[in-house]
Amino acid sequence: MISFRVDGQSGVPPYLQIVRQVRQAVRMGVLDVGDQLPSVREVVGAVVINPNTVLKAYRDLEREGLVEVRAGQGTFVRSRPPGPPPSTHFRLGHSLARWVREAREAGLDDESMESLLRITLQAEAAASGSEEIA
Amino acid sequence: MSERRAARGQAAGASEGHSAGMAIETRALSKRYRRASALTDCTISVPEGRLSALIGPNGAGKTTLLRILAGMASPTAGAAAVLGDTPRQDPSFLAEVGFLAQEIPLYRRFTPEDHIRIGAHMNARWDATLARTRLEELRIPLDQRVGTLSGGQRAQVALALTLAKRPRLLLLDEPVAALDPLARRHFLATLTTALADAEGGLTVVLSSHLVTDLERICDHVVLLSRSRVQLCGDIDSLLAEHKVLIGPQKDTLPIERTHQVVQAVRTARQSSLLVRTNGPVIDPAYQAEDVTFEELVLAYMGADEASPARHLTTVGED
Amino acid sequence: MNWVVWRQYRAQGAIALALLAAFTAVALWQGLEVASQWHSLVATCAGNSGCLRQGDLIRGVANGVPYLTLAVPVALGALCGAPLVAGELESRTSDFAWSQSVTRTRWLAAKTGWLLLGAAVCGGVVAVLVTWWSGPENAQLANTFITPQYDTQGIVPIGYAVFAVALGIAAGAVARRTLPAIAVVFAGFIGLRYVIDDFVRPYFMTAVTTYFHLTGPGVSPPGAAWMLSQGMVSPTGQVVSFAVPDMYGGVLPASCQNLLPSLGPVKGGNQSMNAVYSCLQARGWRGFVTYQPASRWWAFQGIETGIYVLLAAALIAVAFVIVRRRDA
Repeated sequence: MISFRVDGQSGVPPYLQIVRQVRQAVRMGVLDVGDQLPSVREVVGAVVINPNTVLKAYRDLEREGLVEVRAGQGTFVRSRPPGPPPSTHFRLGHSLARWVREAREAGLDDESMESLLRITLQAEAAASGSEEIA
Repeated sequence: MSERRAARGQAAGASEGHSAGMAIETRALSKRYRRASALTDCTISVPEGRLSALIGPNGAGKTTLLRILAGMASPTAGAAAVLGDTPRQDPSFLAEVGFLAQEIPLYRRFTPEDHIRIGAHMNARWDATLARTRLEELRIPLDQRVGTLSGGQRAQVALALTLAKRPRLLLLDEPVAALDPLARRHFLATLTTALADAEGGLTVVLSSHLVTDLERICDHVVLLSRSRVQLCGDIDSLLAEHKVLIGPQKDTLPIERTHQVVQAVRTARQSSLLVRTNGPVIDPAYQAEDVTFEELVLAYMGADEASPARHLTTVGED
Repeated sequence: MNWVVWRQYRAQGAIALALLAAFTAVALWQGLEVASQWHSLVATCAGNSGCLRQGDLIRGVANGVPYLTLAVPVALGALCGAPLVAGELESRTSDFAWSQSVTRTRWLAAKTGWLLLGAAVCGGVVAVLVTWWSGPENAQLANTFITPQYDTQGIVPIGYAVFAVALGIAAGAVARRTLPAIAVVFAGFIGLRYVIDDFVRPYFMTAVTTYFHLTGPGVSPPGAAWMLSQGMVSPTGQVVSFAVPDMYGGVLPASCQNLLPSLGPVKGGNQSMNAVYSCLQARGWRGFVTYQPASRWWAFQGIETGIYVLLAAALIAVAFVIVRRRDA
């Protein structure tokens, strides 16, 4: 069973945070196809948010085809989001952890690392875009 | 940024289709005392299934409004419909509405178990097991006098008793104001769990000062200031409708003519207008930004005039 | 709701019961003592009324206790009636009680009903005990129609208790605080009792006036009658009491006034007054006694109890209106 974290200050609406956390959990293999998601009651008891928020999140996930609601039983993972399998995520996660350790030793703080990642993503996107045109 | 806006718009649509009826509807509700007016011309509506935040500074009229809706006080003018009925002293009305007053009214000499038994005798519909289970989960002793319990425990006992009535509407008057952060969290968790259990059959109006707590759990807001309603509606819709327009310090009349300016902050170099948009903002000189719930609340609370439209402040040098 | 009243007031009820039991014990103990003394006295005096009246009925350690029961109604009103509504409003437990599914009317009816019943029972039990305890003294002194005997025996104590409690409840509902309500109970109860005792009770029924010859033996109404006034009355209706200052006040006809003995130590007592009386009688003056006959004692008790019960009912009605209409 996964537990959710909702950050009120992040600027991302709570229900979207839950959707993303479910997607990520399935990508990483924390949740497998057929696993049950915590009930609305359980989520709301642990993370103090409105039940409607959880319902919205689960409904969105159901619309995406990621989960299915079985009447009387609960919400279960139906399929994996498109992308590489959990093992790939693990592998990439490990190398990212190595990079983070290296960056920290070099003296970068979290904010610098995040900006670096964002700039790199943008640069890569621009590069691949120009590649397509070319 | 655009993702937030899109998500909010989508969420607003989703919440509209959730419930059919109105739990609370008031029309020009007023309460006058000899010297002052506690409520003036209040028109609000709270759909069923919402967790509505009743916000306002001290003396704004929150307690008066809640007490009128609960049938504990009567208005001097205007009308109120609670679950379709005028609030009145009638067993069927009282059974549907749960009211928790600010001072957490309990008999200090009695134990929680005593209160549960008293409740069983004073209510036709009473779920004693629910109350006992809830208090046991929270490890609150059932056979200890309420006067010797902590503030947080007393609040939980009172909430459990109110929920044992299985009401369709809960009116809570600043129940967490005097609680420490941990007790507050536990109380709100009990509340959201009850809401989850009720699956849309419970509506809650919760008055409080603490805006950050409320944004997480509330999906509707009623804002009172100086006895008048400044704002009322689903939070997601309201946030989607409001923008902060930042632009050069110049003639802002065109903006003011089209949109409703809630708050304007003018410095030497720029003006920043919090507006309720009436259509898209097409003036290229202005950059539109999303509004946070806290910014929205503060802006409307600062609107001093009776009409919530204009409050223009000029800030000093930049 | 009845169970709730029981749960809320069972401690107070137990205390009241204990006090009643203690009072009953004292009353029985002392009452039996006095009764046996009376029976010995009756046997000794063998019909001699003078002897009976002078006999010493020692009431023992609890001599003044029957008179103390005058305070029972106001104590009930202050300690039980005043906090009934006011206490809940003060501690704000009314916010709890009035948001349950019983209406305020039903809530108040249950609390008020049981409390008034309890007050009536307390007042009644105490009255019965005091009436029985005072039996010998009443027989000896024929004093049942006067305060405090009248006020502590019979059925009026029930009326007083019910009224005082109703006053407390209503005052509490209006004042919303217990202490002011207690003050109203004291002031209102004592004030009303004084007014009714002195200015209304004598007129419950038209008093009987009996005239007699001044030179004959006086008339003494039989039994425990309530003497309201006595004196001499002229043919024109002028009233003079038998008190010395009045007779020397210059109201009597001059010829009779001259026959009055000089002020100072009286010589010969009654004989000198006889001349005055003959003189007055010759001029058509008569003696009179105005009183309520002893046979009317129960009628008076009934009327007075009725008055207090009606007032209590009005006060309770006020309390209901206030509790129902006013903001919580």
